[in-house]
Amino acid sequence: MTTVKPKSNQASVGSVQCENTTLNLLKVNDFVARAIRDRLPDILVINVCSSPGSGKTTLMQETGKRLRDRLNMAVLVGDPETERDAIRMREVGINALQIVTGGMCHIEAQMIYQALDHIDLTGVDLLFIENVGNLVCPAAFDLGEDLRVTLLASTEGDDKPKKYPRMFLTSELMVVSKADLLPYVPFSVANVVQDAREVNPDIDVLTISSLTGEGIDAWCDWLLTKVAEKKGVLTSPAA
Amino acid sequence: MHEISLVRTILRTLEDEFPADMDRVRGIYLKAGLLANVQPILMQNAFQAVVADEPRYQQTSLHVEVLPILIRCDDCGKTTQVQQYRFICTCGKPSRNVIQGEELLISKVEFDD
Repeated sequence: MTTVKPKSNQASVGSVQCENTTLNLLKVNDFVARAIRDRLPDILVINVCSSPGSGKTTLMQETGKRLRDRLNMAVLVGDPETERDAIRMREVGINALQIVTGGMCHIEAQMIYQALDHIDLTGVDLLFIENVGNLVCPAAFDLGEDLRVTLLASTEGDDKPKKYPRMFLTSELMVVSKADLLPYVPFSVANVVQDAREVNPDIDVLTISSLTGEGIDAWCDWLLTKVAEKKGVLTSPAA
Repeated sequence: MHEISLVRTILRTLEDEFPADMDRVRGIYLKAGLLANVQPILMQNAFQAVVADEPRYQQTSLHVEVLPILIRCDDCGKTTQVQQYRFICTCGKPSRNVIQGEELLISKVEFDD
């Protein structure tokens, strides 16, 4: 039985210190994320983040329909429970695999690495990772993606970039979704762009509606450009 | 976020690093950038809850230091502390060159002899 000493005794004379250690608590995740990058050298990987219900899955469905003749696309979709999102995407012909996180509020690199063994990526140009709906925790976990895209629905309010700065800081693109509802909700695209760029001056912005099709062409063009850039890096290393 | 699992990760990380010395650990020092979303008081509560079942850590204390966000301007080279999540240098140039504020590190460990 261990005797519990009074706390005041803990700074005992002769204690040794191990200073300036840098034991990164996310080192396992970051190690696996690097392995994912090594494993997918010629596939553009995009980590899609947002709050729950901002339209990630609907945008994936629309993207699959629009680009099916031009790109070979696959989706890994994470949710705490159910296979519903993967089923929704398979219904429109998208190669999709569900990652059930078992209650966890974000995807970690290890889950992606394991999922890669269970999805056929032969000939795939573009792999989406549809993250769990959450603007906090997913921001801290590198999934081995090339690009991070964050959706923000007009119904959520335009104050989100300042409330969840790390997510917008680490994203290359902010997609303002449900633009068809903009006339009915107090949401200023100008304000949200200004706030997002105060957090991340380099962030690209697109405004879309998966329902009406507004902005979807621009989104598809953005994707095609990024896929070409990824493959260009491969085919012309001198560039 | 995830204070309990962070505390477990801290202990597991140290157990991997110092397998023979864990009975002598007295102080664990954590550095958490403001962007890591770590609340010191919640970490302390989680630490107490986790070590309550582990006799070897009854004399171990956790110290959490939250670090402000620092950016270094690509233009003028100056380092600025970010206030109100405005990632803008005092010279007026926006910058996302974060040199401090995203880390989550064990920075120091104290052992008893």
